[in-house]
Parts: sequence; structure tokens; C-alpha cells
Amino acid sequence: MIAPSQQKVDALVVGGGIAGLQTALDLADQDYKVLVVEKEASIGGRMIALSKVFPTLDCASCITTPKMSSASRHPNITIMTDTEVLKVTQGTEGKPSRVKVRKNPRFVDLDLCIGCSLCEYACPVERPDPFEWGLGATKAISVPFTNAIPPKAILDPEWCTACGACAMVCPTDAIDYGERAQELDIEAGTVVMATGFDLNPVTVKKEYRASESANILNPLELERLLAPHGPYGRVLRPSDGKIPDNIAFVLCAGSRDKSIGVPYCSRVCCMYSIKQAMLLSGAVPMAEITLYYMDIRAFGKGYEQFYQNAKAMGITFTKGKVARIDPVDNDNLKLRVESLEDGRLLENEHDLVILAQGIVPRADADGLGVVLDHDGFVKCADPVAPTKTEGEGIFTAGCAAGPKDIVDSIVEASAAASEAAQHLIRTGVVPVQATEA
Amino acid sequence: MEPTPNPLESPDQPKIGVYICRCGGNISDYLDTEKLADTVRGIPGVTLSKVDTFMCSDPGQDRIVQDVQAGLVNRVVVASCSPFLHEVTFKAAVRRGGLNPYLYTHVNIREQGSWAHGHQGDAATQHALHMIAGGVGKVRHLQPLDKIRLPSHRRVLVIGGGVAGMKAALDTARRGLPVLLVEKAPQLGGRSLDLGRVYPSEQEARELVKRLEKDVRAEEKITVLTGSEVTAIGGFIGNFEATISTGSEQRTDAIGAVIMATGFTPYQPPEGEYAFGHSQVVTLPEFVKALRDMPSGKTLTWNGKPVRSVGLMHCVGSRQCEGCFQPQPDGQLNDYCSRVCCTSLLRNAVELRSRFPETQIYDFHQDIRTYGRGQEDYYTCASDQGVTFFRWKGEEPPVVTARDKGGLAITVKDQLTFGEEIEVPVDLLVLGVGMMPGPIADLVDQLKLPVGADRFLQEVHPKLRPVEVAVAGVLLAGTAQGPMSIEESLEGASAAAAKASILLAHDYTDLEPFVALVTPDLCVGCNACVEECQYAGAVTMEAGPEGKSVATVNPGLCKGCGACVAVCPTRAIDVQGWTLDQFDAMIDGMTDEALRVPATQG
Ligand SMILES: Cc1cc2nc3c(=O)[nH]c(=O)nc-3n(C[C@H](O)[C@H](O)[C@H](O)COP(=O)(O)OP(=O)(O)OC[C@H]3O[C@@H](n4cnc5c(N)ncnc54)[C@H](O)[C@@H]3O)c2cc1C
Ligand SMILES: Cc1cc2nc3c(=O)[nH]c(=O)nc-3n(C[C@H](O)[C@H](O)[C@H](O)COP(=O)(O)OP(=O)(O)OC[C@H]3O[C@@H](n4cnc5c(N)ncnc54)[C@H](O)[C@@H]3O)c2cc1C
Ligand code: SF4
Ligand code: SF4
Repeated sequence: MIAPSQQKVDALVVGGGIAGLQTALDLADQDYKVLVVEKEASIGGRMIALSKVFPTLDCASCITTPKMSSASRHPNITIMTDTEVLKVTQGTEGKPSRVKVRKNPRFVDLDLCIGCSLCEYACPVERPDPFEWGLGATKAISVPFTNAIPPKAILDPEWCTACGACAMVCPTDAIDYGERAQELDIEAGTVVMATGFDLNPVTVKKEYRASESANILNPLELERLLAPHGPYGRVLRPSDGKIPDNIAFVLCAGSRDKSIGVPYCSRVCCMYSIKQAMLLSGAVPMAEITLYYMDIRAFGKGYEQFYQNAKAMGITFTKGKVARIDPVDNDNLKLRVESLEDGRLLENEHDLVILAQGIVPRADADGLGVVLDHDGFVKCADPVAPTKTEGEGIFTAGCAAGPKDIVDSIVEASAAASEAAQHLIRTGVVPVQATEA
Repeated sequence: MEPTPNPLESPDQPKIGVYICRCGGNISDYLDTEKLADTVRGIPGVTLSKVDTFMCSDPGQDRIVQDVQAGLVNRVVVASCSPFLHEVTFKAAVRRGGLNPYLYTHVNIREQGSWAHGHQGDAATQHALHMIAGGVGKVRHLQPLDKIRLPSHRRVLVIGGGVAGMKAALDTARRGLPVLLVEKAPQLGGRSLDLGRVYPSEQEARELVKRLEKDVRAEEKITVLTGSEVTAIGGFIGNFEATISTGSEQRTDAIGAVIMATGFTPYQPPEGEYAFGHSQVVTLPEFVKALRDMPSGKTLTWNGKPVRSVGLMHCVGSRQCEGCFQPQPDGQLNDYCSRVCCTSLLRNAVELRSRFPETQIYDFHQDIRTYGRGQEDYYTCASDQGVTFFRWKGEEPPVVTARDKGGLAITVKDQLTFGEEIEVPVDLLVLGVGMMPGPIADLVDQLKLPVGADRFLQEVHPKLRPVEVAVAGVLLAGTAQGPMSIEESLEGASAAAAKASILLAHDYTDLEPFVALVTPDLCVGCNACVEECQYAGAVTMEAGPEGKSVATVNPGLCKGCGACVAVCPTRAIDVQGWTLDQFDAMIDGMTDEALRVPATQG
């Protein structure tokens, strides 16, 4: 935690996802003092909740956890979780930027909590686990997930009945039902926006009727089902716990579609769908798996080979546009597909459907004070310094600057660190005396 | 630096802690981690063994720290994933506990255990047990080691002066480090000099180059050497030496880190591929340059002939299907996607349509990969402007033939009209050729750089260390690593600059201590090790006490490969951290028949 007196840092990174963490590490390794502000209860962003990641099929935790851990232990990095950036004001003429943040109550004192989980065991209230997209349950007070950083409890006031059970068992008196939000103003020599992405909500595609069936999953839900420590420990379809045997992926669901305001390609959904299909064919070997697509965009290093491997594994790629999805008997789903291969209108039934929902900016990106482009992502102002925004001393990386996979996010994050360090030097901020590792 | 003696580290009283990771189920779903911990506890010297869901998480690491601090263990084994992922993590935890970090052994029971043998039940657990016992054997014989600290030159060599090289030089210099920028062409700018307006910014590529060059030239910390080549390079992180030739002049420079920004070469189709060689067939780079330099009009003209229709062929020299194309000299096809050709083709289709409105365009693709920000707009716009699209399957590429009455005929099995075979006449065919790495075999050889199956320079790990190669001190910028757009090349370059600034933040470099060490008393001066060693200068014969010749190791140059160990007749030379005694102990542990996990009941 940052002490109120310490409200001045060399660099402030907005967002503790993989991009923000990489930027922070690269700046801190150059001896700058960095503050990472993360609105969730743990750092790690979207990536920590993924199963395995393309193109190498590394387990996502195994790549994210060490970066989270290095950042949290770095002598030059301070992390504030549960803290939302509300407004960024650029500092002109070499002056530092000002960042307004709100520290939301966690109702657990992070300095006192030792992460023993006794409160979680004592709490009588079960609630849908947000980390598992509600596919699993947790308590009203709990450590957010196994490898969370900080590995400490958070209380959800929406579910808490204030029965006092947790406070009774907490060995360190860390629980504080009366904690209030607190606003702070922080001065930062440079700011890096790494606020990441949201999924384009399925509601925009009314013809897919996603809200009417539990068996239409969003891709992040499927990531949890596929994760080795996921909610069910295996892949079951949510409506009735049946093992799915005929699964469909609908690509470009909420991307490349002017009519819903997302004309651009979301860049990662082809690849994550192929990955998920591969992982599914390992988890449920008997299942038929079909991807309905327009173009397969496997453009990165090793990606085309990944795609060809998926084909060789027997995953079906059907070139076609899914026009409608209708729930039918046995909780199955009927897909109406305009096939681009033989021109027929197909009607295929599947028992589990995943919509490869597009990538959109965080809902609150507009209003943070950073200029956005017409696609809603942070505007990058200079073609020879792609991570520079319109604001002086403000840079951006990762999905905040447009849809991107992890590799590209990480490289971009290092690039943003490079530009930010140069800005600090230009404005006379010298790194602290080197700290010996 | 003298190693600090630590009473805890006495080899006489090994207190070995074994930590077994469940890896959130990746391991424990297949191996019985609890039984492993129970059985391991019985091995002599093991004082405790524990299981954790994620050893790499903060609480997992804290177990090690706390047990060391409490004096419960003075040697640590973690059995988890590949050491490639987390050896460094756990060594750091050992150090935080106050123990020498080299008193640590990593055992891989995931890639070499649960993932490989997961379905063999008890046998897989037994196998893991023996691997752990090997680790325990080794750790018992480990000695505390210290990193080797060598002075380093705080100066960076950037090879290649395209957009990536210029950006890398600029960022590094602005971060305070002197830079030598070596470009073999007479001017800076690389391939971008031949482009016109570029996606997605729609700025003139030459303007972008000019801006970068102006900044590079203004930066006093950058020395630009154009018309120059690196003719010899060797050394190690912090201490490279490069010989650079400019015409007949030569200079030798001491360098701390090298950034490879040697770029790409466009794929050169063999004669006849898609009728290449025909006067009306042109590659995209040639076409882009010509288009930039020609006046607009109603109809495009090429070789003095009016062009009523242009064909755009995607994936030429990329995504090649077995049996359809001629392989490269190494016998391999280019099976990768070149990433920029789709968008570049469509961008130029849009330009063509607006500058030569009476020229029709036919586009032949497998997939349209306009993936990046602003790129899909070119596709939509090209469709709106009446470009006609045909889609072929990878294993059935279109066939191009010269027509008697002039021009070309493209025969395609079009997927968009349900596999119908269509013949499309065109007056000009543009081949969207892909990217191949530049000719840098000499540098690859001298620096021992890893290359991938696609022949581009290969990073250590795409997510953990995306711009570093396995040779410490060498970094990657731009298309030397693989196909990229300008923007992506610039970002790679900035990332490389950030890493260079971190590597050379101090005037010294710490190297791993896993190098050969000679016990002078045992050395008989036979010279066998010197003859066997393939790294020049790593081990030499020096005069020892009493006039005797003794083998002597230069720890900066020694790679720790152990070739010398195998030939020494007296066991006088050994690799630190991997000694013969340690290997013996590992093998004893791995083959200990007495060690068995109890069988599962039922
Ligand atoms: C289903 C799915 C599967 C995927 N699989 C893969 C894969 O296999 N391989 C791959 O390479 N890529 C994959 N990706 C892409 C990958 O998830 C992204 O590239 C990556 O997560 C981007 O990281 P980021 O740091 O930019 O954003 P995020 O992970 O979104 O992190 C942003 C962080 O900023 C925080 N934040 C946002 N706003 C604020 C604010 N105002 N104040 C404070 N904090 C804020 C958020 O809470 C979050 O923690 C997948 C994506 C999806 C949707
Ligand atoms: C037809 C075509 C159109 C394109 N259009 C676009 C576009 O519209 N938008 C976009 O973003 N990107 C586009 N690109 C991609 C763009 O050209 C590249 O991203 C960019 O040129 C890569 O820059 P680089 O510095 O990595 O490599 P290069 O431009 O290849 O520069 C490498 C430099 O290194 C030098 N060099 C090589 N070996 C040595 C050596 N041994 N010693 C010294 N010097 C050496 C070379 O002479 C060269 O100057 C296009 C590419 C092509 C082929
Ligand atoms: S990445 Fe693939 S699925 Fe996603 S929007 Fe682009 S083309 Fe569609
Ligand atoms: S970018 Fe397009 S044309 Fe180029 S190789 Fe990839 S798919 Fe083929």
C-alpha cells in the first residue's frame, strides 16, 4: 500500500494486467519508482484467468504468476489494488501529470490480513464466484482466487449479511465493515494507460439469443471450464452437467460488423477459438468440434502452423456465417449457417456453443481524460512512436491501445516503458540510486 | 567476490527441503503428490517435504523463505514444471530466505512427468519419485556459488539501419547509452524507403524514415556508419568485440550488447511460379514502388500497355502447401503467414481504384488477414469500390498461364462461388510475396544465434522474453525476428532498447557461475582439455607454481559445456554446479531400487 505522504511517483501505470505489469517491471528495472493502480482485488488482468495460451500452449498461470510475483516483490514497484483511476490530467511543459484515483473499500485491512482463509471457511453466505464467471461458488468473503496477488481476502458488500462470523475468526482483526472509499490525487512523472479490454456483450447480437440459454458461453467462461483448476474440474455444459459432444464456435461474433458499431477485427478471437477447440478435443476427446468462420486470421509467429495442427487434429472448420441461433429441445442449440463452401443454408444442432465475442475498450475508458480514437481505444498519435498518446507524458500499451494478443501486448508494454523512460529523462527525472539485486 | 561462509551451508549436515507442486492439477491430477511427499521424507538428509497448489505463487514461495529462515532446511529441491519457467523464481526465494541460491535443485515432474506419463498411474508417480530422488542426491553435494562479476562496456551496437534499427538506436541513446549504428547500404531507411503511403497511418514511408533519420543524426550519442558491415564479432554479454568495415577502412569496437535489426528480404518466386518471369507479372514491393512514382490516370499502364484489370495474388511464398510449391534450398516450404501482405495488397487496391478508376481489380486469397487497428477498413473499402474477391484453398492454389492474345489467365477454384472453377483474364498480376530473413548467416554463425524453423531469429520465449535470444546480450528488433508491420517493428525496437538499457544499467555484468574450474594440484598439464574445447580462449595452459603447466579457465568465455570434463584423465576439471560427484549422486538417487511409492489400493 502507498502511504498518503507518498503521493508522488516517477511513473504511474493504470492497470495491472500483463501489459501494465511488463511496463512496470521494465521501468522499475531501470531504477524508476513505479506505482501500479489496479481496480480489481488482484493484479493479473484477463490473462491470469485464462487456461492455456496460444501459440505455445503454456499454462497461463505459469506465465502470469511469475510476472505478478516479480512485480509485487520489486523494490521499485508499489501496487495499489481495489483502486480505480478516475481521471488523468496531462502535465504540460514538462510538469508531472496528475492522476485522480479512488481506493474502494475491501473491508479487509491488507496490512493485517495474512491470507489464512479462516474467514472464508466461517462465512455462511455463498455467492457466485466472479472469477469463475458465476460457474462456481465462493463465499461473501474470500481470497479472490488461488494465485491472487495480494493473496488476501475481500468482502463483497452485496452479499454480506453482516453476521459477524468472519470477524470472529479472523486471527489478526483485519476485517473492517466500516471501511469507506477514499479519493487520492497522485503526481506522476509519466503515466502509462494499460486498462485492457472488455468482451463485446452478446446482447448486441440479438439473433444469437444468448441470454436464453446457459449453453451459449462467452469465451472467458470457457477458459475457466478448460483451466486445470477450473470450477467443475472438467468440461461440462452448464444447463444440465452433460458432457458436450457436439460443440460449435461462432467466430467474429460481435466483430467486423458495422451494424453493431464494431467494424474492426478483434485480432485474437480466431486464435483463441482454435486454441480452445484444441484444448476441448483433449478434454472431451469424443466431441465433434466445429468452427464457423469468415477468415482465419492466424498471422503471428507460429500461428499458421498452430491452425494447421488444429485441422490435422480433426477439428472442423466451416466457412460460413452464423445467421441465427435458436434454443431447441434438450437444451441444445440450432445454428442457421450460410455456408460459404457450398452455398447451402445449413441448420446444424450443437449441444454447446461458444461465441467468439469481440474485444472492446473498457466501459469506463471514455472519461479517463485520455483522448480516444473513433474505435474507442486510446488514440496513438505518432506513427514513429506508436505507444505515445495525445497527452504529454502519457503512453499506452496492451489492449487499451486496440485488440492484441499477449505476445504483442508484452512487446508493446516494453516499448511504452522505453518511451516513458525517455520522457522522464527529458523532463529531468533521474532514476533512484541503483538498488542492488 | 569471496563467498560468504554460512554455517547453515555446511555440507556435513544437509537439511534438505523438498517442495512438490500440484500446478493447480496439471501435476496432481496425474501424479499422487501427497504420496510423493510422504515417500521422499524417508530419503536420508530430507528434513521436510511439502505439497502446494502453486509453488510459484507468493504463498508457495513464502514456504521456502520461511523454512530456510527458521533453520529447518539448508538445501532446497522444488519438483514442479520445467526449470525453464521457474528455476529463477525459486532460486530467488532461496536467496530471500538467506541461503546461497545455488544450493537449489529443480526437478521437472510436469513436462517430464505428469504431461508425458500422466496416464500410467502409479508408474508415473514412481518415475517422478526417482527423478526427485536424483535431485535430492544432487542437492546434497552442491556447494555455495557466487555469480561471476565482470566489467562491461556500456555501449550498444545496432546492426541494420531500417526503421527498427534507427528506432532502437534512438531509444537506447536517449536512455543515455552510446550507440554504434551499422548499416550496409549507403543510406539509412531499409525496405521502407521503397514504400509509398503506408497503412494504417497513410503517411509517406519516406517521411517516417526522414523523421527518424533526422532524430538519429541529431543525437550525439549515436555514431552512424553507413556503407558498413560487421565483418567479425565475438565475445559475451558486456564484452563483445566487433570489427566493422567501411570500404577499405576497419575499426574494432568494444560493445556491451548487440541489437539485431537486420530486417527481411522479400520472397523471390522461382521462374514460372504463378507465371513469374512473364513481363506482366510483378512482385508487390516492385509494384508498390512503381505505383508511388507514376502519375494517376484513368487506366493504369504497365510496360507501356494499358492495364484494364489487375490480379492480386495473396500468400506468394507464404502459407505454402506441401507439394504445390518449390521448397527453399534447405528443403523446407515457407509455411508461415507473412502478416503484412494482405493489408498491403488491399491498401494498394484502394489506392489503385481511386487513382485509376477504370482499372478493375481481382483479388485471389485464402483468408483476408486485415487483423490490426485500422486494417479492416481497407478490406471494406476495397469491397465497396468494386474489387472482386476469389478465395482458394491452400492445397489448390490458382494456376496462371500466359494467354495467346496477351495478358494472363488465372484459373481458380473459387470457394466463394462454391468451388466453381473460374478463369479470370488479367493484364497484370501482382504477387503478394511474403517475407524471408535477410542474408545474415555470417552473424548467426559468429554469435551462435538461434534461428527458428521459419529461419528468422528466434526469441527465448514469445511471452517471457520476446526480444531476447538465448545468447545473453543479443536482442532482436523488427523483422529480423519475423514478419511485422512498421509499427510492430518500431515497438520491437523500443522493447529491445529497454532491455539493452536494463542489461547495461551498470558498468558490470553478473554471469552464472556454471563454468569449468580446475583443481591445479590434480592437473597434469596434458593439454587434452584445451584441445577439446571449441570456444577460443575459454581454457588455456598457463604457467603454474614450480614451473608446471596448469589449465586455466576464462570464465567469461567458458560456456560450461563440459567437453573438457569428459577428456581430463585425472578429474582435475569440473563444471561448477554440475560436477561429476553431483552427477554420480543424481544417478544413485534415480536408480535407488529401495525407493517405492506405495501402490494405490483397489
Ligand atoms: C477468451 C480469450 C482467450 C484469450 N487467449 C489468449 C491466448 O491464448 N494467447 C494470447 O496471446 N492471448 C489471448 N487472449 C488475449 C489476452 O487476453 C490479452 O492479450 C491480454 O489479456 C491483454 O492484457 P492487458 O494487460 O492489455 O489487458 P487486461 O488483461 O484487460 O488488463 C487490464 C487491467 O487494467 C485494469 N483496469 C482497467 N481500467 C482500470 C482503471 N480505470 N483503473 C485501474 N485499473 C483498471 C483491469 O482491472 C485489468 O486488470 C485471449 C483473450 C480472450 C478474450
Ligand atoms: C510490399 C510491402 C509493403 C509494405 N507495406 C507496409 C505498410 O503499408 N505499412 C506497414 O506498417 N508496413 C508495411 N510493410 C512492412 C515494412 O516494410 C517493414 O515492417 C519494415 O520495413 C521493417 O523494418 P526493419 O527495420 O525491420 O527491416 P528493413 O526495412 O529490412 O531494414 C533492415 C536494414 O538492415 C540492413 N542490414 C541487413 N543486414 C545487415 C548487415 N549484416 N549489416 C548491416 N546492415 C544490414 C539492411 O540493409 C536494411 O537497411 C510492407 C512490406 C512490404 C514488403
Ligand atoms: S480475429 Fe478472427 S474471429 Fe476475431 S474478429 Fe478477426 S477474423 Fe473475426
Ligand atoms: S498476410 Fe495474407 S497474403 Fe500474407 S501470408 Fe498471411 S494470409 Fe497470406
